[in-house]
Amino acid sequence: MATPEVLVERLNRGVRKRNARWTFVRDVGFGDALRLRRYRLGNGLTVLTLVDRAAPTVSYHSWFRVGSRHERPGKTGLAHLFEHLMFNATRNHAPGDFDRLMEGAGAEANAATWTDWTYYYENAPRDALPLLIELESDRMANLVLRAPQVSSEKEVVANERKLRVDDDVEGKALELLYEKAFVRHPYRWPTIGSMDDIRGFTVQDCREFYRTHYAPSNATVVIAGDFVESKTLSLMQEHYGRLPRGRRVEQRRPFEEPPQRAERVVRLPAPTPTEKLLLGYRAPSFLDADTPPLVVANEVLFGGQSSRLHRLFCLDSELALSVRGSISPFVDPGLYEMWIFLRKGKKRDDALALLDREIGRLGSEGPTPIELEKAIHQLELSFLHGMETAGGKAEQIGFYETVANDGAAVFERLHAYGRVSARDVKRAVSKHLRPSRRTRIEILRRAS
Amino acid sequence: MSVLVESSDVLPLVDVEIAFASGSLQDPAGREGLALLTGHLMRRGPRGLSQQRFEDRLASLGARVSVQVSMRSTRIRATVLRRNLEPLLGLLADLVWRPALRARDFAKLKRQARAALIARLDDDESLAARCFREALFGEHPYARAQSGAADSLARIGLPEVESFYARHIARGAFLVGVAGDVTDTEAHRLVSTYFPTAKRHKRKDSIVPTTKTRSGRHVVIVDKPERAQTQLFIGTLGARTRDRNLFPLLVSNTVFGGTFSGLLMQEVRAARGWSYSAYSRLLHAKQREAWYMATAPASEYSADCAALQLSLLERWAERGIKKPQLSFAQRYLINSHCFDRDTPSKRMESRLDVELLGIPRSYVEKYDELVGRVRLRDANDATHARISTRDLSIVVVATATEVAGAFERLPGVKSLEVVPFDRG
Repeated sequence: MATPEVLVERLNRGVRKRNARWTFVRDVGFGDALRLRRYRLGNGLTVLTLVDRAAPTVSYHSWFRVGSRHERPGKTGLAHLFEHLMFNATRNHAPGDFDRLMEGAGAEANAATWTDWTYYYENAPRDALPLLIELESDRMANLVLRAPQVSSEKEVVANERKLRVDDDVEGKALELLYEKAFVRHPYRWPTIGSMDDIRGFTVQDCREFYRTHYAPSNATVVIAGDFVESKTLSLMQEHYGRLPRGRRVEQRRPFEEPPQRAERVVRLPAPTPTEKLLLGYRAPSFLDADTPPLVVANEVLFGGQSSRLHRLFCLDSELALSVRGSISPFVDPGLYEMWIFLRKGKKRDDALALLDREIGRLGSEGPTPIELEKAIHQLELSFLHGMETAGGKAEQIGFYETVANDGAAVFERLHAYGRVSARDVKRAVSKHLRPSRRTRIEILRRAS
Repeated sequence: MSVLVESSDVLPLVDVEIAFASGSLQDPAGREGLALLTGHLMRRGPRGLSQQRFEDRLASLGARVSVQVSMRSTRIRATVLRRNLEPLLGLLADLVWRPALRARDFAKLKRQARAALIARLDDDESLAARCFREALFGEHPYARAQSGAADSLARIGLPEVESFYARHIARGAFLVGVAGDVTDTEAHRLVSTYFPTAKRHKRKDSIVPTTKTRSGRHVVIVDKPERAQTQLFIGTLGARTRDRNLFPLLVSNTVFGGTFSGLLMQEVRAARGWSYSAYSRLLHAKQREAWYMATAPASEYSADCAALQLSLLERWAERGIKKPQLSFAQRYLINSHCFDRDTPSKRMESRLDVELLGIPRSYVEKYDELVGRVRLRDANDATHARISTRDLSIVVVATATEVAGAFERLPGVKSLEVVPFDRG
C-alpha cells in the first residue's frame, strides 16, 4: 500500500486545477490499531480518513462550522432550517432523489445542528461510498432553494418545535434556562429558533446563508470504515475538486458574556404531573483545562446508580425519581446542566438544600480514591462504547475536528480524564459550582 | 446450544447477556408489573452485598448492568472493560443465583415504580403508544404494560416476587451470550465456571391466546391540556412471527411507511409539512401483533392528517404496491441489513432471539433471501389479507376540546371515547 505522500503525488499527477490538488497533512495513530489521516483539497476541504475493516460498512460525515451561534436575533433557527433544506433538490437531482438513492443503497442519512456546528452523515454498506461522495459533493454546491420547498420545510420545523419545545416540558425549560443564563452570547437563543423567526424566513435568507456557510473551505469530511483510501480520494478529487473554495467566512469578534454574580431564578408553571428543578451553572468551554475535572465530577455526582446524587436523591431520601447532569460541549463557555426530577409531593427546597450540601462537600473534600477510580473507568467504558461502530468513530472525529480543531484529540481527552486528580476535581467544583453562578428553573405543576 | 459467543478484538470491551424465556406475559392477571419488579429487585444486588457496595463494585470494574423485561423475556445485560470480564461474571452469577430480594429494597422499589408511572405521563409519544396497545388488544395480555399500573403494583407483595423468581428465573430456561473481546474457548470456559447450569433447562413455549380486533373504527382521545401538537397512532392487527405473510408484509410495509421516501412520509411530511415524523411499523409475535402508523401533527390539522392517513391506508391495502416500489424496498432492506450485524453485540442479540423467542433461524441466516424472494403478488396479497382498513384503533393524545368534533367526523368511525391522560 502506498504511503500517503506517494498516494497524493499520484493523485495530483496531471491535475492542473488548483482546487482539485490534494495535500497530505499528517497521519496519526487512532487507538492501538488504526490510523487517522488528514488531507486537504486545493479548495480548502479538509478530509479525515480512518480505515477500519471491522464491519463491511462505511460512515461518511460532512461537518460545517456553522450553527445557531452564527445567526442573529430575528433570524434564529436558520442553521437548523437549513439542515432540513439540504435534503431537497439540487441542480442535478430532483426533489426526493437524495433520500430515494440513499435508501435504495441501504444507507441511513440524517443530520444534526447545534450551537457551533451542523453535520450530515450517512451510514452505508461499503459499496455505496461512490454514491455518498457524489450526492454530498453535489448538495454542497448545487442546492436548489425555491419557495415551495422552503415553505413546506418551515411548516415541518414549526411542527418539530411544537413537539420538542412547546409541548415538551423539558424542552421548554431548557430553552428558558439558556435564555436567562446568557445575556449577550448567541447561546441564549434556541437552535431550533423562535416560532416567529421560523415563520418569517424567506428564500433569500436561505440562499444567503447557503452562499456564506456551505463551501469546501468551511467543511470537513470524515470517512470511517471499510474503504480503499486511494480510490476514495480519487473520487473525491473528481467530485469535490470542481467546487469553488467559497466565501471567506468572516470571523466574528469573540462574544463577551458578562460574569454572573447572583443566582437567577425563574418559575415555569407547566401541565406536568411532577415538579422538576433544572439548574445551569456557568461552565468552561469544551477545551478549557477545567472541563475534564468537571466531567469527572459529573461522573461522581450523576454517573449511574453508584453515584452520590443518585444514591442520595433516588434511594436514601427518595426525594427524586431520577437525577442527571451534563456539561455543554461548546466552543465558548456554556452551562453545566443539572436536572432533578422530584417525586410527587416532595419539596423543591429540600432537594436544593441536599444538592447544595453535596456539591459543597465535593468542593471541600473532593472525591474519594474509589469514586475517582469508578468515574474514570465509567468514562473509559462510555468512550469505548462510542467507538463501537464506524458511525460512532466518525462522529467523534468530526466533533473533535470542529470544536477542538483536531480530530485525533478524542484519545487525548480520554487520557486527560485519566490524569484528573481528586485535587483537580475539588478545585474545579469550588470554582464553577457556586450558587451565584447558576440559573435555576423551577418547573411547577399547573393544575389542568 | 446455550452459550452463544461472538468474538471480536476490535475494542477491549465485552458484552454479556443472561436471557430468560419469561417476561410480562407470565404476570398473573391483576399483578401486572410482577416480572419487571422481580428483575429490578434482582438488579439491586446479591446476598451479602448491600446495594451500594454492589453498585460500587460494578462501577469500579468499569461495568454497567441493566435488566430488561419484555413480554417474553427477562434479559440481564452487562458491558465491561475486557480486563474485568471474569470478576464481572462472578458478580452476575451471584446476582442471578443468589439475589438478595430484600424487603427494604422491595418497599423502595415499589415506591419508585409508582413514581415512574406518574412521571412518564410527561412523554406524549409513549403515552399514545401505550394507549394504542390498550385500545387495540383490549383484555389480551399483549395490552399489558410491562411496568404495570398503580393498582396492580399495589397488589404485589414480596412473596409473589420470590415465587416468580423461583419459578421463572432460578428454575427457568436461560441462555448466556458473550460478545466482544473474548475467544470462543475462553468464553465457554468462563461461562461453564460461573453458570454451570447453562445447559440444563429447556425453553417451554408459553400459551398465548389468539388476538382479536374490535369490529369498526374506534377513536380514543387521550385528553391532555395545552397540547399544541398531537400524537396520533392508527393501527390494526399485523402478523404472527411464523406467518407466511410476514416477509411479504415486511416488504410492503417498507414501501408504505418504513423509509423516509415511503408513501406516508412523502404525503404527510414532504408534501404538506404536517408532521416531523411519519412512519409505520409491523410487529410480530406468537400471535398477531400490531401494525400501526404514527405521526405528530399540530392540533389544528390533526384530524385532517388522520383522514389523509386513512385514505393512504385504503389505497395501499386495496390497490397494493407497484413493481418498482417492491424492488426499491427489497434493495433497501437487503442493503441496510448489514447494520443489524455490524457489532458483536448485535450479532449476539439476533442469535439470542432465535434461541429464546422461537424466531426461525432462517429469518436471521437467510434474511436477504427471504426478502429477495417476495414477489409483487405475495406482497399485495399479504397486505390485503392482513391489514384491515375497516377494523382500526385510532388513538390521539390531544386536548380533546380542540379535536374531538373533527375526529368524530372521520369516515367510518363507530365510537369515540375521551379518557383523561392521567386516569391511572
